Amino acid sequence: MISRVADSCFWLSRYLERVDTWSRLLEVTSSFSLDVGMDGSERWRPLIVVVGQEGDFLERIGVDRIEDSEVVQSYLVWDDRHPFSLYSSSRAVRENARTIREVMSVEMWEAVNESWLWLNSRSAKRLFERERDAFYERLCSQCMMFHGICYSTMLHEDPFTFMKLGRAIERVGQTARILDVRHHALQDPCEAEESPVDAAQWLAILRSCSAYEPFFKRATNVLSGSAVAQFMLFDRTFPRSVLHNLDRARGLLLRLREGAASQGRSPSWEALEKLRGSILQMDIDEVRRLGLHETLTWIVDETAHLCDVLHDEYFDPSLDALRARLQNGSGARGIPPIRSRRALQSQSQSHT
Amino acid sequence: MGRAQIVSSPSKTLFEGYRQLEGTHDEFFGPDGQPHPAVAGVVERLDGLKRADFRRLKRLADATFLRSGITFTLYEGNESTERIFPFDLIPRVIAATEWERVEAGLEQRIRALNFFLADVYGDQRILREKVIPRSLVEGSKGYRPELEGIRPPKDVWVHIAGVDLIRDAKGRLTVLEDNVRVPSGVSYVLENRETMKKTYPAVFRNEAVAGVESYPHKLREAMNAVAPGEGGTKRMAVLTPGPFNSAYFEHSYLARRIGCELVQGNDLFVEDERVHAKTTHGPVPIDVIYRRVDDEFLDPDVFRKDSMLGVPGLIGAWAAGNVAIVNAVGNGVADDKGVYPFVPDMIRFYLSEEPILPQVETYVCARDEDCRYVLEHLHELVVKPVNEAGGYGMLMGPSASQRERREFASRIAANARNYIAQPRIELSSCPTWTAKGVEPRRVDLRPFILTGDRSWVLPGGLTRVALRKGSYVVNSSQGGGSKDTWVVGKSR
Repeated sequence: MISRVADSCFWLSRYLERVDTWSRLLEVTSSFSLDVGMDGSERWRPLIVVVGQEGDFLERIGVDRIEDSEVVQSYLVWDDRHPFSLYSSSRAVRENARTIREVMSVEMWEAVNESWLWLNSRSAKRLFERERDAFYERLCSQCMMFHGICYSTMLHEDPFTFMKLGRAIERVGQTARILDVRHHALQDPCEAEESPVDAAQWLAILRSCSAYEPFFKRATNVLSGSAVAQFMLFDRTFPRSVLHNLDRARGLLLRLREGAASQGRSPSWEALEKLRGSILQMDIDEVRRLGLHETLTWIVDETAHLCDVLHDEYFDPSLDALRARLQNGSGARGIPPIRSRRALQSQSQSHT
Repeated sequence: MGRAQIVSSPSKTLFEGYRQLEGTHDEFFGPDGQPHPAVAGVVERLDGLKRADFRRLKRLADATFLRSGITFTLYEGNESTERIFPFDLIPRVIAATEWERVEAGLEQRIRALNFFLADVYGDQRILREKVIPRSLVEGSKGYRPELEGIRPPKDVWVHIAGVDLIRDAKGRLTVLEDNVRVPSGVSYVLENRETMKKTYPAVFRNEAVAGVESYPHKLREAMNAVAPGEGGTKRMAVLTPGPFNSAYFEHSYLARRIGCELVQGNDLFVEDERVHAKTTHGPVPIDVIYRRVDDEFLDPDVFRKDSMLGVPGLIGAWAAGNVAIVNAVGNGVADDKGVYPFVPDMIRFYLSEEPILPQVETYVCARDEDCRYVLEHLHELVVKPVNEAGGYGMLMGPSASQRERREFASRIAANARNYIAQPRIELSSCPTWTAKGVEPRRVDLRPFILTGDRSWVLPGGLTRVALRKGSYVVNSSQGGGSKDTWVVGKSR
């Protein structure tokens, strides 16, 4: 497929995953604030920090507002002057989708377009004002519905693979960030004496990743910083854990390589295998020794590096690299033609 | 007071109280108030709708367009907004017997324009025999001397044409202008039809409306026919300037319907005079490009150096015969408004036939005699700059103020080559839904002609309607909307 289009598929998914993750995180954080009397500890600032916008917030909004639940929420939901608000991410989802409608199913496009039109409507504003939880839940469920629509309506070929790759890689980074929220709320998370406030914090983190029930399905798990971190980093069956998503990314890269004409070396494959190999060799004791925050930072950095490598290999290959491939006679055999909506319809009719 | 109530009465039928414009041909009703024979069936069925029903259908149709994102982008300063192209649910109807003649006329015209392009970039016979003044052709902004001697694959220049027709006061369909560079609007024809079928299933069951659905398929055929090389699967792509272009929806729509890639200039590169796409699996050769990028921006090596939308080396690959570009490069000289007056002469010259379709009488300001006439008769003429599209920079003489006319006169005197003038045609009107019920609004018609091995005319085309009361300007950027166009009945 066209490299630029693959890039948009990848990013569409990443932005969508941000909307999903952050609306759940915001919902949990706002109700979590009601749970415990956490006087003196921070609830909202960590969110601003892990999203990487502390500087912008302090400059434009002010330090005195950083624990103001309404101010922070409207900053993270509606503010279109920074790229990490739900609104900005939703716009990026829609803009990417608009650019690559030729590889999406009609149903996918309409789902994205309708979500966007809704977010801009009065009824979205009203829901945000009156039923905050319902507002966040609606955003989450729109995201999940979109994945379902992709799965059941689009061709399971390269564009689909790149979308799934975007989601897997975004999840690695987001899960690391959510775990890191804890670091910014309390010092030395794995070491600290577990207090009721800590327990509430860890529960909130589990809930932010839809991990509450899955976590307790593991019979050995008791609520502690180590157990939560272990689960979110290393549980291979939990769909938001770091390792699960690296496994998944591996499978997707493998599929891309199978479709390719040449089986030359792939820098993305190598970068992923290196990261995944390091994590496979780690356990929670080693994470404690290195420091949770330091480990998470390393994961986020390595993931960013992987994205750079993917960019050079798949999304924006240099002309020199392309010309070299032509010279070596290792160009692709051809793009499978994209079937049009009409072709798909007539095909499905012929099956019934 | 009583009267206002009647006007807004929801139980009133659609065409009740419809009043035609004086001195104008109406597409539905004759001077006696009776519907034209071809329209009678449609009028009867639509008239069965109450206004309240019609409003409901209209809301549904608008919501469908918005939800499916069938929009164009309007730029005002730094702000851009996406708009749905206003769509009128009352169709424009043309009898199949009349359409047959229009089809033949369009096909003839495109054949002549194609010969003309091959000639001006080849032997220049028509210039040597002084049928068309050389200065006019060589002075045209659309003429590209760099291309002299180039022959596009299969010698087809005009693969996709949109010819604007208007119906004059006598009811004759007349050619207003040719568009043989990158005519747009066909996606609206196809989407409008989808919407109409959902809106009026019963009408479609009972009226024999000619289908438009095969357009993408015919386009694919035409592209395939001009692809260089022998048989085999040809790789095609639609080349768009990108998502910020106001017609991006159409580019993406056509790529989807043809079943080919949608690419931007940056997605392609040329190596050894062959065009390749940059894909996730490496370079892939491309055989046919349906470009929606203007000539000037197509290849920075040959035309504008600062173009970010083009592909360096593309023209070289085309000249070497390794890629087909649809439409060919350099076509602008054929739809130049200054060349338009000579199209009937081209038809006689190349085809030894008489033109089937009439065209609007035109004064070419480049000719002294015409220019004098134009300056003396500004109050009854429409003056157009030859190199503008979209209805920009025109003078509507009859409705302009004296000051506007004076200003325009000095512009013409300063640069006569740049202007042509035509008498104002009383464009025909068609019943159209407005806030005040159904009223006459002026319409034109853009049929689309595809040419590969042979020509094919899309039945009907895009009817554009001037939604503002009294307006003659149908362009979407200036308050125009569209209608579905129905060719009905049996041809002879």
